[in-house]
Amino acid sequence: MSASPSPSAAGAAGQGVQELAAEPAAAVRALQMALTAEHAAVYGYGVAGAHLAGARQKAAARAWAGHEAARDTLAAMITALGAEPVAAAPAYRLPFPVRNAPTAILLAALLEDRVAAAYLGLVALADDRLRVLGARAVQAAALRATEWRGRTLAFPGLEVPGPGPVPSGAGAGQPVPSASGPGRASPSPPPTGPAGG
Amino acid sequence: MACWDAHTVGHGAVRDWSGRDGGGQDRGGRTAGGQVARKATRRGVLAAALSLPLVAAGCKGIGALGTPPPPLPDVAVLRDAIAGETLMISRYHAVLAAAPALTGSLGPLLDQHREHLARLRARLVEPSAGSQPGHPPSPAGSPSATQVPSTPAAARAYLRQAEQAAATALLARLTTAPPALAQLLASIAASEATHALLLTPGRRPG
Repeated sequence: MSASPSPSAAGAAGQGVQELAAEPAAAVRALQMALTAEHAAVYGYGVAGAHLAGARQKAAARAWAGHEAARDTLAAMITALGAEPVAAAPAYRLPFPVRNAPTAILLAALLEDRVAAAYLGLVALADDRLRVLGARAVQAAALRATEWRGRTLAFPGLEVPGPGPVPSGAGAGQPVPSASGPGRASPSPPPTGPAGG
Repeated sequence: MACWDAHTVGHGAVRDWSGRDGGGQDRGGRTAGGQVARKATRRGVLAAALSLPLVAAGCKGIGALGTPPPPLPDVAVLRDAIAGETLMISRYHAVLAAAPALTGSLGPLLDQHREHLARLRARLVEPSAGSQPGHPPSPAGSPSATQVPSTPAAARAYLRQAEQAAATALLARLTTAPPALAQLLASIAASEATHALLLTPGRRPG
């Protein structure tokens, strides 16, 4: 928790967190939760994007890039607080087979629900800046979920319908590919999936 | 692990503030209810006996002790949020009275505002709150059907602006609320922002 110099990548945001976090341990825990959800979203959008086309694939690519950027920001903040950012799992078990555009859209909406829920943890912290950061991220995820789903939720982040993708290593101990995607069984999600179109 | 953890966070928060009352009451009622009740009865008798001379002497009792204390900051935040949600519901009612054709598309959004209001009211523990969840009192400045745009496009623009303003106002109160209430406010603010998204021109709510 001490004396870890913040890398330049941490930037001003990370430094600010280091100064302002009144409860570093709680802040690190909440940031790690958000980072964990961002890892899952990056993986999940890699899967979803491969089943989408046209404007939807472009939207998935934008969301995928956004979650990557958020992942990097969170990792830098955690490092600035002197902790080791949680790593992505090698593979994630999807909550349902993703075989076509409708299931890909369903997955994307679900990923955003889970991201919203994770960022809500930051809103419970004492640090005002982290609260606001968390609330804005909840809002951004809720907006993306609405774009995918076409309808709104009464309590984004507090109500998460159904399970999201979970790292396959947690229980099964081996990678579990999505039911339809032989190309998706690779240990790391191909980042070019959604960006290809 | 990753997402299950995130899942736990979200639902932990829900349990945190919705399950607090139930859990406490269950425990108290089941294990120590009888004993507490007996003690309370004894205390009650004692208190009644002590208060008799006061009444007889013409004392005003507790009422004479002064004005009630000012509400805690979180109560003020909660009341503001309740007032904002009530106003939003009255805006939807006014718009629907002026433009009934929008009922189908605005209904789901109005329903979610009712859910927001019910959840906020459930957190406010005071005698005047939550007594009429189905019929919120009209706050000052609530619009009537004649004061809102009646064309569908203008009505949707009016509500979109109101939703966006409500979301911004909730975020501004975020830092003054206790943790669990802050999470609820952030969630409601996000919901209202998504309402604004669906109300943008060219989109169809639903």
